Amino acid sequence: MKLSERQAALVAALVAGAEVPAGFDHAAVRATAVALRRKRAGEVARTWPLLAASYGGAWTATFAAWAAGRPPNGSLRDGWDFALAAGAALPPLAREELAARAAAFAYDGHTAPVRRNRLSTRLRRLRPPKSGPSNAL
Amino acid sequence: MTDYGVAIGWRPEIAGYVERLPGLRFTEVVAESVHPHAVDDGLRRLVDRGVCVVPHGVRLSLGGAEPVDDTRAAHLAQCAAALRAPLVSEHIAFVRAGGLEAGHLLPVPRTRESVDAIVANVRRAQAALGGVPLALEPIAALFDWPDPELTEGQFLTEILDRTGTLLLLDIANIYANARNRGESPTALLDELPLERIAYVHVAGGSEHDGYYHDTHTDATPPAVLELVKELCARSTPPALMLERDGHYPPAADLTRELDAIAAAAGRPPIT
Repeated sequence: MKLSERQAALVAALVAGAEVPAGFDHAAVRATAVALRRKRAGEVARTWPLLAASYGGAWTATFAAWAAGRPPNGSLRDGWDFALAAGAALPPLAREELAARAAAFAYDGHTAPVRRNRLSTRLRRLRPPKSGPSNAL
Repeated sequence: MTDYGVAIGWRPEIAGYVERLPGLRFTEVVAESVHPHAVDDGLRRLVDRGVCVVPHGVRLSLGGAEPVDDTRAAHLAQCAAALRAPLVSEHIAFVRAGGLEAGHLLPVPRTRESVDAIVANVRRAQAALGGVPLALEPIAALFDWPDPELTEGQFLTEILDRTGTLLLLDIANIYANARNRGESPTALLDELPLERIAYVHVAGGSEHDGYYHDTHTDATPPAVLELVKELCARSTPPALMLERDGHYPPAADLTRELDAIAAAAGRPPIT
């Protein structure tokens, strides 16, 4: 197998729930995967402080359990996806934070969220310019 | 090389503490957090007062089988220019593969194929850096790749020799790797080209499920300070820098930690 394929197999085992590639210390790779999910929980907590706080001491374990088999997409998306997956079980404080994020960003659930003011700028550029005051008769 | 002494990594959360350290002459900033055209005011003040601020890349993925992204390498070069940095640093590691981000520095196999891939990526990054020296940091990992063709010392020396790069020695990584492999940290230290050290990282960690994790969120343990002593008995590193990333303790605790590193290294305190 090529180096690129072997590296891809290792990353898939660490963040996407794939089998640990042959020859590796199974327990140590699994322990690393768990540590990566804990680290991710900390990063998401910095981007989504109310979401994390609303789970109190259970945040790290709750997020890490959800993140198993789900590759990281950056803290903003990770927290967003977690909150959407929680659905009706989402605590009120987290619900408020989610609403604030949804007001600030447009997120389609598949690609990076886009700031709404930037989005409207982009849309304005796409639209033909409105006719403004002019000297034309 | 200039002797900068003991130092601490600049992070936004502890920027005020770092800026007030009377003896600070060296620091490091995560390159990916720097906007070269709008450098943070606090960082700018440090540069203006003559503190050496080194951009430390974490997402170049120099150890990846794929060619390094020129945009990322160019950003590192822009950081060096904006901060008037005499050098930059990155890791011997990869952070993404097969379209997936690991979100962390991962170990590379110690094979000749891997050395060739890293050397090619480092040269590509060096071309973007246009002469700014690059220091490479070997990482901490809980596991190694199977079937190594080279020892850790051979692997590292070959990469540094072929690229003309310097060594960013993380003494806490040496401790973590040796401890998790059940080996002697001083034996590992003696394998490395210590004469190539650009600077040293010092950090804390904690034990979880039978493994020592290099967390940067715990205080530097006595065993790592002991290894700082062992290192400084063997060489005189130009700077020894404490890394803290999250769970920042009160200022008094940071001061105690920096003083302990200074004492272990036989350097004057910077607090």
